Amino acid sequence: MSTAGKVIRCKAAVLWELKKPFSIEEVEVAPPKAYEVRIKMVATGICHSDEHVVTGDFAIILPAIVGHEGAGIVESIGEGVTAVKPGDKVIPLCLPQCGTCVVCKHPEANNCVRMRVTNPRGTMQDGTTRFTCRGKPVYHFFHTSTFSEYTVVDEISIVKIDAAAPLEKVCLIGCGFTTGYGSAVKVAKVTPGSTCAVFGLGGVGLSTVLGCKAAGAARIIGVDINKDKFAKAKALGATDCISPQDFQKPVHEVLTEMSGGGVDFSFEVIGRIDTMLEALLSCHEAFGVSVIIGVPPGSQNLSVDPRLLLNGRTWKGAVFGGFKGKDSIPELVTDFMANKFPLDPLITTVLPFGKLNEGFDLLRSGKRWIIFSLLMYPYHPQILRPVRCLQPYTTSDCLMPSSSRTLDQNSMNLSLQDVNNISVNIYQ
Amino acid sequence: MSTAGKVIRCKAAVLWELKKPFSIEEVEVAPPKAYEVRIKMVATGICHSDEYVVTGDFAVTLPVILGHEGAGIVESIGEGVTAVKPGDKVIPLCLPQCGTCVVCKHPEANNCVRLRMNNPRWTRQDGTTRFTCRGKPVYHVIHTSTFSEYTVVDEISIVKIDAAAPLEKVCLIGCGFTTGYGSAVKVAKVTPGSTCAVFGLGGVGLSTVIGCKAAGAARIIGVDINKSKFAKAKALGATECISPQDFQKPIHEVLMEMSGGGVDFSFEAIGQIDTVLEALLSCHEAFGVSVVIGEPPDSQKVSVDPMLLLTGRTWKGTFFGGFKSKDSVPELVTDVMANKFPLDLLITNVLPFEKVNEGFDLLRSGKSVRTILKF
Repeated sequence: MSTAGKVIRCKAAVLWELKKPFSIEEVEVAPPKAYEVRIKMVATGICHSDEHVVTGDFAIILPAIVGHEGAGIVESIGEGVTAVKPGDKVIPLCLPQCGTCVVCKHPEANNCVRMRVTNPRGTMQDGTTRFTCRGKPVYHFFHTSTFSEYTVVDEISIVKIDAAAPLEKVCLIGCGFTTGYGSAVKVAKVTPGSTCAVFGLGGVGLSTVLGCKAAGAARIIGVDINKDKFAKAKALGATDCISPQDFQKPVHEVLTEMSGGGVDFSFEVIGRIDTMLEALLSCHEAFGVSVIIGVPPGSQNLSVDPRLLLNGRTWKGAVFGGFKGKDSIPELVTDFMANKFPLDPLITTVLPFGKLNEGFDLLRSGKRWIIFSLLMYPYHPQILRPVRCLQPYTTSDCLMPSSSRTLDQNSMNLSLQDVNNISVNIYQ
Repeated sequence: MSTAGKVIRCKAAVLWELKKPFSIEEVEVAPPKAYEVRIKMVATGICHSDEYVVTGDFAVTLPVILGHEGAGIVESIGEGVTAVKPGDKVIPLCLPQCGTCVVCKHPEANNCVRLRMNNPRWTRQDGTTRFTCRGKPVYHVIHTSTFSEYTVVDEISIVKIDAAAPLEKVCLIGCGFTTGYGSAVKVAKVTPGSTCAVFGLGGVGLSTVIGCKAAGAARIIGVDINKSKFAKAKALGATECISPQDFQKPIHEVLMEMSGGGVDFSFEAIGQIDTVLEALLSCHEAFGVSVVIGEPPDSQKVSVDPMLLLTGRTWKGTFFGGFKSKDSVPELVTDVMANKFPLDLLITNVLPFEKVNEGFDLLRSGKSVRTILKF
């Protein structure tokens, strides 16, 4: 029975208050209006930017459905939509590409002005929301709101990807992987034979390492206070890994010595003021390029001596790895499927959507760090291809699963009956 | 009678104390040692960086002979010198190009490591000076010291130029013109049709305007509190000129409105912390490039929100317009002689060398763009 044109009742993770757990409950998702698309979510990653919302570091309007790094299948489209059609595999774009603003027309830039139309208003481009819960409107996040079984996005915030793409992996191209990888290959434009330093070896930092390696860097120095992260960084291409806590002197001095004067390219992928300055200082004064990727907590300033730049450094920042969303995401998906870069090593935990709070606990824990944790959505009887779920495994293993298995409902604490009843409930 | 191999006695402007006039007096200039060159100066410009030494904003060892933007003729060479010979027209290079360090080998970079090896030692590469006055050693400044009838530079800090070059004009390529022009064409890489904002319309700022125009910018907005500078800026290519004192709001807001969201390229050619930040804020958050050219006083810092960069801005700085000195100065001289840019318009005053103090007064009053001292 088609759901097109009707309100869908489904599960979503609603954030009612800051610094509280998400509430997994039933929401109503209105059908897409003109130039909007409703998506059935298949997989979503948990990004630290989502956590910044929960802590209040990133201000939004509550209640809201967050999550912005996902992949799914188009359920229905609004009037005038031509970019996608029902059944298409898609990635919602946390950075839209309207194609008409001065930024989209710029050959290099990607920070579409429509981004700021809806952030932090938390609505669709027309100023209204498509979610309600317990009779109240629930706000959107970053044009996407992927922590919901169904979501509605503007046409400028969606792109069709390869029909054979494994959604449970390429969802990472929706944010974390692209941000890190692009910062190296597109923003810094890492050159073959160069020396790079990557501050922060989380999911985005490791993606930056992958980018430096793809660009042919000769040395990639990973910097992190958590040495548990070193093994994976090296597996992905880091040639050296250091922890600032092992040295008496500032880490930029260590990096300057290691590189014989300063690195060619440095990246700050944490979001801390002190490491941003260290990253800048660590790149060579006459030709170094330093890229800010991590989002710092609101309104903290850096105190910088302009001479650091006068001698020849370049300091820049970018969102989404400098990539224009619609232009680049399908290409990155295709590149992944052609094995140009690995995504699997970045995925350490896979959980059913209902365990979203556990996923956030893992992110916060610090004891068991995760790179990317995916949330998988229940099987939808009307979407023919079942979601194949990887066996969840602990981070202490840091191993790749040896095989995929078809969905085991028991492992998700839901019966098939529940899935069929809950995932779609047509509003009469 | 040849002076080669002998000490030369000549006039120089010696700075004995900060914030005092220069003293024109007789100095002894030793012959060049190995890999050094002694030059007879013909013309020198007065750059604001020289003034920053007088005021104490730039630290230097006293007594010193300043001046770093000059042109002259080789008088004699030390052992092993192959780059130039006596009689060659030359420009001493305040930014050396040794050719062997990691920076010189980098395809883009220009800030040769030998620059910082000598500063702030204020000597020749071997650690000693070639000037004496009243029996005391007198120090050199950034490899050049052009406020003297004769000076001695290292071979890495000199380049031969066209034999027909007009030295009383091309001396500006020794610093000010190249710094400003290169900041636009080489560092920012201004694109055709773009909108640029240039903060500071002195010699370097006007050279930046010339560079923006040469690169095909559609709009070049000059920013200066001294409106008497506007006419020349417009003659050189500025499409509009504004003074921050005419507005209640910060100048970056004015520029954002004028440009519909932020300029493509902004340049700070003054050397003040507040305008360095204003220039950064005035460029478009998603694709703007801001270049710091002016050197702020030692150890002053600017307070910056990293979000300004995260949205997509690029912030860079440069010395000598990003040009590798030996590679580029001769080419720029040739371009001047082919009338590719109006260097003449930058020269507002010409004085005999002995009137160096008057030249500095003109600089401080804001009444000159570039004063040339002729020997």
